[in-house]
Amino acid sequence: MSLLETILQPGGLSVLFQPIVDLREERPRLWGVEALVRGPVGSNLERADILFEYVRRKRAEIVVDRACVTAILDAAMTLPASLDFAINVHAVTLSRDPEFLGFLTDAAEARAIPLSRLTVEIVEHAPEWADLGLAEGLDALRHMGIRIALDDVGLGQSNYRMMLDCKPDYFKIDRHFVKDSHRDFYRQAVLESVAQLARRFGARVIAEGIEDAADRDTVQSAGIELGQGYLFSAALTTPGLASSELGKETRAVWDTAEAGRQPRPWVRTECWGEV
Amino acid sequence: MAKRLLIVDDEQSILVGMKSYFRSRGYEVDCATEREEAEALISHVPYACVIADLCLKAGHGADGLEVVAYVGARQPQTPVVVLTAYGSPTAESEAGHLGAAAFLSKPQPLEHLAEVVEALVDGRA
Repeated sequence: MSLLETILQPGGLSVLFQPIVDLREERPRLWGVEALVRGPVGSNLERADILFEYVRRKRAEIVVDRACVTAILDAAMTLPASLDFAINVHAVTLSRDPEFLGFLTDAAEARAIPLSRLTVEIVEHAPEWADLGLAEGLDALRHMGIRIALDDVGLGQSNYRMMLDCKPDYFKIDRHFVKDSHRDFYRQAVLESVAQLARRFGARVIAEGIEDAADRDTVQSAGIELGQGYLFSAALTTPGLASSELGKETRAVWDTAEAGRQPRPWVRTECWGEV
Repeated sequence: MAKRLLIVDDEQSILVGMKSYFRSRGYEVDCATEREEAEALISHVPYACVIADLCLKAGHGADGLEVVAYVGARQPQTPVVVLTAYGSPTAESEAGHLGAAAFLSKPQPLEHLAEVVEALVDGRA
């Protein structure tokens, strides 16, 4: 059996969720999660960067993106219903798989997950995908109530052209610009610039890779309201997330909502997808 | 820090034996059974040396040469040793043209392979 066949088997992929927090809160509050897919434990493909490099070299993005969606939605069934989540999708999948959106819709419906809880993060985009119908795919996602995030802003193909092509709801600024920003005037300038640009787009910025409090403070000072990184939490399994400090907070909110009581305002106004 | 090797071969028994042997000589060892897996590793992990079988079952006959070319593009300082049971002057010439540091026939005594690898890693070859 090839590696590709192995990861496409049921259980071949596992899912972790990394918290995204609202930086404006005095105490970090869970605002949403990014679903992160891993390959078989103990294999080279357990590392996400190697897994997806392998997938791209096999030119198997479309079939693997579907497998990832299935694995993520299965895992997301145990998340609190108030918690929204992001999934990563290759640009080539949106451009070249005309059935993908129907597949996503059916898979979410089968699990009773409203599409409005989803944000799609566009990864490995390149100008040629824009020419091949990426814009149409993005429009269709929006009509389905799904938000768009542009991943790795500042690096590679996540450039000004892609900002125009994607018109994202969220700019995910790459960790390269976040790490050690507290002592780097130039990184601070980039962070402030992206925050300002996002505001002009009517979008919000999520700072990736926040690992210490000084960088968190710098990101906040730049006007960025959302962040993720080891300072707040590593990527966790669903049970791990539920038992984490951040997760317990959300669980309590979920329980409150389930009991028919009015959820606290931040749940209604700050959840992913309800900006 | 231990030097890291990548061994590319589609036969698990060969990978297991070579991995065990090179680890006993102080190397960290990654293994790949497919060309694309090897290329994904080479994209993200720095290696002191790559040992690649010329022909992989899942491939199209000369995947080892593609690995040589890929290493040359992504990690130009990393030497590649090509192993094959089906060597030919043409394949050897092409491997050399693509930048392979050594071209050895299989089976090859592990002690000799290790000498070649160590010479390349230490810059003696």
